[in-house]
This record gives sequence, C-alpha cells and structure tokens, in this order.
Amino acid sequence: MLLALALYVGWENRVYPVGTLQEPGPGYLPLLLAVFLGAMGILIAFWGIRSAPLATMKWSEATRAVVILAACAAATFALERLGYRLTMVVLLVFFLGVLERRRPVPVVLVSLGFSLASFYVIGDLLHVPLPRSPWGF
Amino acid sequence: MVETFNNLMLGFSVALQPQILVYAFIGCVIGTLVGMMPGLGPLAGISLLLPATFGLNPIIAIVLLAGVYYGAMYGGSTTSILMRIPGEAASVMTCVDGYAMTLNGRAGPALAIAAIGSFVAGTVGVVGLMLLAPTLAAFALRFGPPEYTALLLMGLFILAYMSGGSMLKTLAMAVFGLLLGMIGIDVMSGYTRFSFDVVELGDGVGIVPVAVGLFGVSEILLSAGGTAAPQVQQPKMRDLIPSRDELMLSVGPIARGSLLGFMIGIIPGSAHIISSFVSYGIERRISRHPERFGNGAIEGVAGPESANNSAATGAFVPMMALGIPTSPVTAVMIAAIMVHGVLPGPMLIQQQPELFWGFVASMYVGNVVLLILNLPMVGLFVNLLRIPYAYLYPCILCFCILGTYSVSNSVADVWILLAMGGVGYVLRKFGFDLAPVALGLVLAPMLELSLRQSLAMSAGDYGIFLHRPIATTMLGLCAVLFLFSLKPLLFKGKDWRSEVGLEGDKG
Repeated sequence: MLLALALYVGWENRVYPVGTLQEPGPGYLPLLLAVFLGAMGILIAFWGIRSAPLATMKWSEATRAVVILAACAAATFALERLGYRLTMVVLLVFFLGVLERRRPVPVVLVSLGFSLASFYVIGDLLHVPLPRSPWGF
Repeated sequence: MVETFNNLMLGFSVALQPQILVYAFIGCVIGTLVGMMPGLGPLAGISLLLPATFGLNPIIAIVLLAGVYYGAMYGGSTTSILMRIPGEAASVMTCVDGYAMTLNGRAGPALAIAAIGSFVAGTVGVVGLMLLAPTLAAFALRFGPPEYTALLLMGLFILAYMSGGSMLKTLAMAVFGLLLGMIGIDVMSGYTRFSFDVVELGDGVGIVPVAVGLFGVSEILLSAGGTAAPQVQQPKMRDLIPSRDELMLSVGPIARGSLLGFMIGIIPGSAHIISSFVSYGIERRISRHPERFGNGAIEGVAGPESANNSAATGAFVPMMALGIPTSPVTAVMIAAIMVHGVLPGPMLIQQQPELFWGFVASMYVGNVVLLILNLPMVGLFVNLLRIPYAYLYPCILCFCILGTYSVSNSVADVWILLAMGGVGYVLRKFGFDLAPVALGLVLAPMLELSLRQSLAMSAGDYGIFLHRPIATTMLGLCAVLFLFSLKPLLFKGKDWRSEVGLEGDKG
C-alpha cells in the first residue's frame, strides 16, 4: 500500500523539476519523500511477515463504515445544491431512521432540531455563511 | 524573576477581564463535554470550534481553544472512571484502576483525586510554561534555517521513537503527512504541485479537514456499530471526599506525574498519551504493593491523570516559544492564531507580551474553573453519557461536516475530510499511529523552506548542517534515535515502551 503510494507520487512528480542536490527544485523533496516512503513500505512488509496474517483481521464494522461514508459523500455533493439545513435533515433521517432504525418521532425531532439549531448558532449568531437552498432556506 | 512576576501581572490584567473569563469558562465546559464523549477528542473539538473563533480577537480565540484542550483532559477521566470508556486516548490508563475503584464503590474519591491531580498538574505545567517558554524563545533567536531544519527533523524522529508501536510505521506516517504538505503552491518556485487541476488544492491541504477526518470521522467509522445507552453511575457530592489514606497515597504520584508529564509534554508526539502510560508504569514499578494495580489503586489514577494534564500544558512551550507544533492539537491551535495574523515563535513573547502572558494567566484561571466545574457538577455532566450512541454519532458526523465546511466555506475541504476519514479508518485497522500524519502536514512547508534556504545560504553545501553546533547536535540525536529504533528489530528483547505498557510490536 505504502509502496504503491510512493510509486504513484514518484510518477506524478515527474513533471516538476527536481533540480540538483546543491540547488533543489520543487520536485526534489517530494521525490526524496517518495523514496523514503517506499523504503519504509518495504521494511514494514518485510518485518510484517512475522505478524498475524491479514485474513485474521476482523472487518465486522466495515459495511456500516462504507455506508456511513457513502451517505456523507452524498450529503457533501448535495450541500451547496440543497442547502445546509435540508441536507442535514435528510442525512440525519437516513442515519437515524434507515441505518439505526429508530422510531419516527425522535428521528424527526433530532433531525429538524439539530439542523435548525446548528444553522441558527453557526450561521446566524456566529455569522458563518452556510449554504442555502435554491428556495431560500 | 521580578520581570516574570510583572509580566504575569500583565497577563492577569488581561485574563481577568470579564469577557475573557466568560470565554475561558465556555472553553472549559465545551472541553469537558468533548473529553467525555467517545469519538470526540480534544483535537476534533478544537477543530470544530475553530470557525467560531474567527470573529474573536486572538487572545480570546486562544484562551477559548486552550480551555477546550485542557478541559478535554479533565473530561476524559470521568468516563474512564465511571464507565471504563476513555473519552480521549490519554485517559486509557485511568480506566484500569479508576474503573476498578468504581466497582469497589470508590468512584467518588477516584473522581476527586483525578480532579485534584489534574488541577495540581495543570498549575505546575503553567508555572513551567511561564518560566521555560521565554528562555527557550530567547535561545531560539539564534536559530537560522539549518537549525530549524534540524529541529523539525529531530521533532519527527522523537515523535516516531516516543510513539507506541512500530517506529517504521510512525516514520512512514510522518512521511505521508509531509507528502500531503507538498500539495499546493511551492513558495520558492511558484509551481503548483499535486493539485490535479483542483483550484482549491492550490492553497494546499488544510490541517482541519485532515485532523477531523483522521481522528474524528475514523473513530466513528470504527465504533458506529455500538448503539446501546451505557449504564452510568452518578456519584453524589458527599461521596467525592477521599479518605486520609487515599490522599496520602496520591501525593507522590501527583507530584511525579506533574513533573514527568511536563517534561514529556515538551517533546514532540502524542505527549499527553505517552505521559499517562509512562506515569502508570513508573507508579507500578516503585510501588511497595504493585499487585494492587489493576484492582483499584488510587496511585494508578493520580499519576496518569496528573501526567496527561501537565503534558497538555507542556506542549504549549515549543508552540509558543518556537512556533513549532509538537502535536496535532497544537498544530490546529497555531493555525487558529495565524488566522488572526499572529505568528507564534521566538518574537511573539517580545512583540505581543499581552497575548502570551494573558494566555498563561488564563490557564491559571482555567484550572480553577475546571476544579470548580468538575467536582460538584460531575453528576450533571454524566447525563450526557446516557444519550444512546446511535443518536450521538450522526450528530457528531454532521458537526464534523459543518465545522470543516465553515473553516473556508469550501466543499473541497469536506471531500478531503471524508477521504481522510476513510484513510484513517484503514490505517487504524492496520495499527498505524495517525498523529504523525497531521504533524507532518503542518511541518512540511517549514521543513522544505528551511532546507532550501539552508542550501541557498551555503551555495549547496550540505556541510552547513555539520558546521553549526546546534544543528549538528540535533541531527546527531536523530541518528541515535534511528539506531535505537533498529535495535529491537534486529535483536530480541523488550524496549522501554513495552515495559511501561505502550505497544511494542515492531513490524
């Protein structure tokens, strides 16, 4: 994994002048770091032979983690399109109602309460500009 | 000494202004709550609060954020003692004997000793900060680019050595962080590197989305499966008073933990976490009855709690005096005060004494606030823990998105947050320490600039690092630490970290 990242950085770095040892260019340190990262990756893999095999690792929460990340990604996509409040209501309804299967009344109360209260505190009181929907809320 | 006293008086004249007192109080309350909530450590708490400080003046901003930091240190102990859930990583050792004391019906004294130890240690830490930071800042005025290069490298090597687990993994994470720091415009040549034609990446990757993603989101991804509301004990005020024996047994551990924590706090790395492990190990080793540890020994609460609070304060010394963060938390705090046009470093104490000394004095005030807050109101705070995690984590996630977006009103930052959350989740599953990533990200521009300035000064001669004694000493220490780290890889045997309870896997 680290070796692959190092190779990728090295590949992307080819467009930047490396310069010389005496006069490093913008590509010098990234290349140096990529080499170091690759070396670390090889060493970790070498000594990792002694550790427990990958198959013994438990990934019981992985599916849920992927679903949570995907939901957050959808919310990020919608944030500036639907506005902060609407996006957060939908995201919280999904988490609480669909993923956690909570009862409808607390789901609605928490979703509406959180999104409206956080918008009021951060957006209105602290004057942080939060995105609004095309319909103005 | 007289000068220090006068400066401190100047600090108190700033810190005792009603407005600053109110913000110190708010910071302590938020910090206590943040420290108690699993999944929201001091780093995530500070990062989320960062946008709210933009409209404040720099003194108030730093007082508020510092309050959150050491408030979280206090708050983390409450959940450790009452529920065996460390609110933040530094409280892990408190779980062992703190929870055992709760099972033995001594939750009140455990909470009281944790609060008293934290207060004493916090105060010791502030005295140390007050005495050491100006001296270190004066010394740092002698530093040129080669010394800064060596100092930054030394910081990363010490961080890697002090971290629990494999030094190779930690160094790899530091390099990963440094590579993230390479994204954006190169200040010396004007090249935009690794931006992938995303305009927002031209300014580089911010510390807030990376820190909140790595520490906040990844924690939620790891623990989102748990949904039940935990059973919480609610101690009453009269139960809090420790016995005479418990007080006597706690004096030594509090004193040792305070001094040890402060010294470790100055060193780069997750100092507050390491200090609590080291303190626990020392207390167990010097105890006449080590068998009591793990079964409710009050020393096992007093030592680690004092050490982690003192270390939290110690971390401010290099931050204020050198302008160099030694932990992700101080990295975010530096970002917070730089937003206000204040540059931490050797000149800060001379040029803006009211900011530095106001900050120092506010920490004295904050410690008193926390002592008052934590003992009588512990019963009130623990009600927060009754909220089922199924309701808590979606709100924390929404806060993460909100806080990250608010920093620069950029959706690109939220994408970075999610990407870092996913990366952090996978890396934690594989046992990587994430603190060096955040630290590497912040140090990368400084390291690159000072390295290239050094070479420009010496016309490309690397000997400049060997001709200057301070730089040579620091680089020598890097080499020694690297050799030490190879020893357990090549020869069988335990090193000091596994002996004090830190993970010792080398691979």
